[in-house]
Amino acid sequence: MAIIPATWDMYDLIQGVLQAPWYHIVFEVALVFLILKIYISQSFTPDKTLLTEKEKDILVEEWQPEPLAPDVPDDHPILQSMEKYCIEGLNGKYIKVNGKLCINMATFNFLGMVGKKELEERAVKALRVYGVGSCGPRGFYGTMDVHLELEDELAKFMNCEEAILYSYGFATIASAIPAYSKRGDIIFADENVGFAIQKGLIASRSHIKWFRHNDMEHLESLLIEQSKVDKKNPKKAKVTRRFIVVEGLYLNTGKICPLPKLVELKWKYKVRIFLEETMSFGVLGDTGRGVTEHFDINPDQIDLIAGSLENAIASVGGFCCGKKFIIDHQRLSGLGYCFSASQPPMLAAAAIESLHILKEQPRLLVDLRENCEKVHEKLSNLSSIKIFGDAISPIKHLYLTEPASDREFDLRTLENVVDYAMNEGVALTVARYLDPEENNLMPPSIRLTVNCDLTDEEINKVVQVISSGFREVLKKLSSVDMSSPLDSVEQGDGEQRASR
Amino acid sequence: MNVGVAHSDSNPTHSYFNSKGIWLTYILLVFGVHLLLLSVPFFSVAVAWTLTNVLHDVCMFVMLHVTKGTPWETSDQGTSRTETQWEQIDYGKQFTATKKFLTTVPVVLFFLASFYSRYDKYHFVVNAGVLALNLIPKLPQFHKVRLFGINKY
Repeated sequence: MAIIPATWDMYDLIQGVLQAPWYHIVFEVALVFLILKIYISQSFTPDKTLLTEKEKDILVEEWQPEPLAPDVPDDHPILQSMEKYCIEGLNGKYIKVNGKLCINMATFNFLGMVGKKELEERAVKALRVYGVGSCGPRGFYGTMDVHLELEDELAKFMNCEEAILYSYGFATIASAIPAYSKRGDIIFADENVGFAIQKGLIASRSHIKWFRHNDMEHLESLLIEQSKVDKKNPKKAKVTRRFIVVEGLYLNTGKICPLPKLVELKWKYKVRIFLEETMSFGVLGDTGRGVTEHFDINPDQIDLIAGSLENAIASVGGFCCGKKFIIDHQRLSGLGYCFSASQPPMLAAAAIESLHILKEQPRLLVDLRENCEKVHEKLSNLSSIKIFGDAISPIKHLYLTEPASDREFDLRTLENVVDYAMNEGVALTVARYLDPEENNLMPPSIRLTVNCDLTDEEINKVVQVISSGFREVLKKLSSVDMSSPLDSVEQGDGEQRASR
Repeated sequence: MNVGVAHSDSNPTHSYFNSKGIWLTYILLVFGVHLLLLSVPFFSVAVAWTLTNVLHDVCMFVMLHVTKGTPWETSDQGTSRTETQWEQIDYGKQFTATKKFLTTVPVVLFFLASFYSRYDKYHFVVNAGVLALNLIPKLPQFHKVRLFGINKY
């Protein structure tokens, strides 16, 4: 440094160039070549495969156009059941199937809100004010005062800071999960979560770790495993978000999630909880606030609660509630919120009325719980079926005690029971799944739902019909069992056709 | 650079270096910093040039090759989260005009610094060191490569 004086004149500098050391000149020449090479290089996109003309031709040759919509076979189960069951009128406590009035044991109308006079009146009143549709997404001329009012009511009802409305129950959780959890994040999910959650998990592109249904030990072992991985790589752990996604009341199993244990694990392992209350909202808890109230847990402990207005509330749409900053994030990042038209205002008005009824008549919930327990007790006495689900859960799955190895065969046996019950005036349904897409496909079952309006006589009738239905169908099966199981099905089908 | 607007790019980092006048602004900024350093009384011309070069190269290294992701909330589902700013420029295309420009600037600065420090060997080591920091990660062979897992997450 000392050899360099404070100032220079140009002559000295040029002398400097002439006296430059050889390594410096080599370095500068190399740089000049590098720059020249970069300048003459064509720009290209890395890791993009380039095809030769021949390869392109082969690809074009091989390409077969697919039909826009696949052909539906004539014997598709949905087409068949559309032919088989024709429903008229309101889908309420009673339902008219093929002209025959049946007790509806397949609806999610747990509180008997469908067809309530007050709801209809309120909806019609709103219709006169707003018209039918809202004509736009919430952020684009689609917000009416009823939407804001409903959000407000829901937030107050759930004791949360803020709530956000979605226009479709399925889209609620399917949008909420990918709004927070992104690529590289980790989600611990129960293996039996509903289909909407499964779609949300896929859309999030996160790393998903399934734990066995309601198995908290398995979840904890996964969390411990994860914390070990995190310790090895703290830099990665710092930018990884971790979530637990559970359903409050599982549609596919009828069980309630062990929330207190989940909250304990949440604080211990620093994970966030997303609670999906599509089935439990308006069903569990003394005032219908869902699983949090059922277990007496402050909703602040849960990071996000998503619910549906389509089941117990008998309207359309869904909602998420939680802290203000959590919910506000969804107003720009919740795809279902941003990009679909908002709920028709009259249905939002009906949902408000429904909430009022729920607040004023907590008796409905007591009735519902009593009915659930009654049905559960009576059905557990039957030997021909295995009942699955908690006693206070209004969703119960009836499985065969001795399932065959063939899923299709069991399904047809259960369908025969459903047909039998339909003839006797009880509407049941077999639990339907999109078999190839389901994460953990449950064995075939009859999904029974209970509502609060059922009287003791009706419950007795339902139980009696189910019991004789299983008895009849199983008797018929065992009588032809010696020949071939397929024959019996054909025979059963033939009889159905004859009876129609 | 219309963030969050329909038909905009989901990630403005892809294209902000192609905005009008940004190259000139960039050069003026570097020159301005150099003038500031020159005006400090106890810095010789040589020190001022070397400092300019070092400051520029360190800033460029941190901003383009260390920082990952975007300062914006993008709707790309976090794809850019693992990419450095340099890798995001022009959608990761190599040898684009912007990338050629950004490669030239540190090299020219190195020439200037060498010239004004009269090809002194200490200055050479410092200047060539920071230059290497900026040239090596810019090579297409180092696209999305994390040497020894440095800065991987």
